[in-house]
Amino acid sequence: MEKILEVKDLKVTFDTYGGSVQAVRGVNFDLRKGETLAIVGESGSGKSVTTKALMGLIPNPPGRIESGEILFDGKDLTKLKDKEMSKIRGRDISMIFQDPMTSLNPTMKVGNQIMEGLIKHQKMGKAKAKERAIELLELVGIPNPKERIEQYPHQFSGGMRQRVVIAIALACNPKILLADEPTTALDVTIQAQILELMKDLQQKTDASIIFITHDLGVVANVADRVAVMYAGKIVEIGTVDDIFYNPKHPYTWGLLGSMPTLDSGEDQLIAIPGTPPDLIHPPVGDAFAPRNPYVMKIDTEMEPPMFKVSDTHYAATWLLHEDAPKVEPPAAVKRRMQGFAKTGELAEEFIEKGDES
Amino acid sequence: MSQEKLLEVKNLKQYFKTGRHSIVKAVDGITFDIKKGETFGLVGESGCGKSTTGRTIIRLYDATDGEVLFNGEDVHNKKSKTDLKKFNRKMQMIFQDPYASLNPRMTVKEIISEGLDIHGLVKDDKERTARVRELLETVGLNKEHANRYPHEFSGGQRQRIGIARALAVEPEFIIADEPISALDVSIQAQVVNLMKELQKEHGLTYLFIAHDLSMVKYISDRIGVMYFGKMVELAGSDELYKNPIHPYTKSLLSAIPLPDPDYERSRKRIAYDPATHDTSEEPEFREIRPDHWVLCTTKEFEQYKADLENK
Repeated sequence: MEKILEVKDLKVTFDTYGGSVQAVRGVNFDLRKGETLAIVGESGSGKSVTTKALMGLIPNPPGRIESGEILFDGKDLTKLKDKEMSKIRGRDISMIFQDPMTSLNPTMKVGNQIMEGLIKHQKMGKAKAKERAIELLELVGIPNPKERIEQYPHQFSGGMRQRVVIAIALACNPKILLADEPTTALDVTIQAQILELMKDLQQKTDASIIFITHDLGVVANVADRVAVMYAGKIVEIGTVDDIFYNPKHPYTWGLLGSMPTLDSGEDQLIAIPGTPPDLIHPPVGDAFAPRNPYVMKIDTEMEPPMFKVSDTHYAATWLLHEDAPKVEPPAAVKRRMQGFAKTGELAEEFIEKGDES
Repeated sequence: MSQEKLLEVKNLKQYFKTGRHSIVKAVDGITFDIKKGETFGLVGESGCGKSTTGRTIIRLYDATDGEVLFNGEDVHNKKSKTDLKKFNRKMQMIFQDPYASLNPRMTVKEIISEGLDIHGLVKDDKERTARVRELLETVGLNKEHANRYPHEFSGGQRQRIGIARALAVEPEFIIADEPISALDVSIQAQVVNLMKELQKEHGLTYLFIAHDLSMVKYISDRIGVMYFGKMVELAGSDELYKNPIHPYTKSLLSAIPLPDPDYERSRKRIAYDPATHDTSEEPEFREIRPDHWVLCTTKEFEQYKADLENK
């Protein structure tokens, strides 16, 4: 598939009184046309900072892109001037933010907020932009769009507001959509609606999506490929099946193990012990070593490179080195992988019911 | 888990005035009981009244109507200070936001020992320090943490401090209002495991309020599903997930994304349409199977029952 975006060795640092926080420490990935790449990781793992860098939204100071390239459309976005970047932002690359309560302007009518980008980027006239805004609201499933564009954000519910945010992001037919935890603030039923909407719109517009979340259930639902981030680096990347059915990195095992499935008979969740490292003084060697139950001597001395598992699947852990002892994922994680087959049956039940109604 | 009831909630109502003529019926006549040593999960979407239920039980709000019996005694009719104090010791709460629920001007020791002092559980500072250290260790923190301030801790650690504070007065019953929803996935598991261990060691009873249905399923013995201030279904957690009866429960369960791509590819969401209900009479909470309750009318009751048998 055609690559639409390439990120090479991206490093982002924030200068604070306590020292320089190395929030992103050398991230490499590419995004292909029409795919959804999910980035998962704990808070502080650098997933939001990575996407902010893509949008040119790292506040400087205190933040700066220390090195690396972001290649889009033959241009390196890290080298662009503010003015050039603002032409791309909102037109070619746009963003859906986490909290629909705060990402809309409360003093502006919803319609005007959607029209803003259209008038600026596509040089549309007001009347035409308004027409398009009504179309967009209809597209994202808001009833009575003609009346709704004259309303203010507080007159919308949380789920409806997130639909408005999506409409704004889609206004200029972007090639890349960055979604930073777009459903975290929403209820499960509303979340399901928004995810369905996003998948539907992606099919219609063929946009590529980078989807940031910490909810592995959501990842399994939306992603084609998954990148797992830890302490400012991607530690494992692969297709959604690679990551869920054949995970290789102990951190990925930990993440999968700490989520309950709906099967009965689980006695304990596998918690990852400890807390993420301090990125002012990142540890020498593998940053995950202090929390890794399979830690080896080399983990504390040298950083593991990306080992190739298959053409689509890479992981950065010394466990994949040919000299490393062969370790199996924890029994509970393995049982979970098999247990997933059981939830498959549950799925059939829902399909039947779905057909009935 | 014994069959003895620790908490009985009878027809509890909590209305809020939102204007001169409008009221919000946040909790509108719910009835359930919690047995000694069990974890009772309360789920529902935001605004369904699950948090209000928890807060009314512990008397953060005065109930509009209904009764809450704790160990057979009516909680909301207690008037005298000593009675109240006795009750407050037995029921404690863990809050959702570990950033907002700890006083930033107090050290961890002051936070944890406040309850000890109020209830006169320690004689002097030496005893107080010892007890605080013991509590910190119980929840997996170090005794060195006692003199630090909340801002020096991560979210997961703060939630542990909140748990230590709740445990300090040796309660029998803990209301946990979304205790893990503000935490990272890996930390959520740590806190849930800790709560389970503490339950075993201290014989605690929990009311666990959450919107994350997979976590609720994991931790709870029985689960109540709330919708717009009413409880629509109540059953053992396995039974509820295996045989959901109320259309709202079905819709809620079908909306949970699971960490399994194959399942996700085939999952179909069931939308809930309240208009499909039979409106010929006021729905009532009925027992459709032993220990499985559903809010329904007589007609619906027969239909649900038939559906269950044909399964």
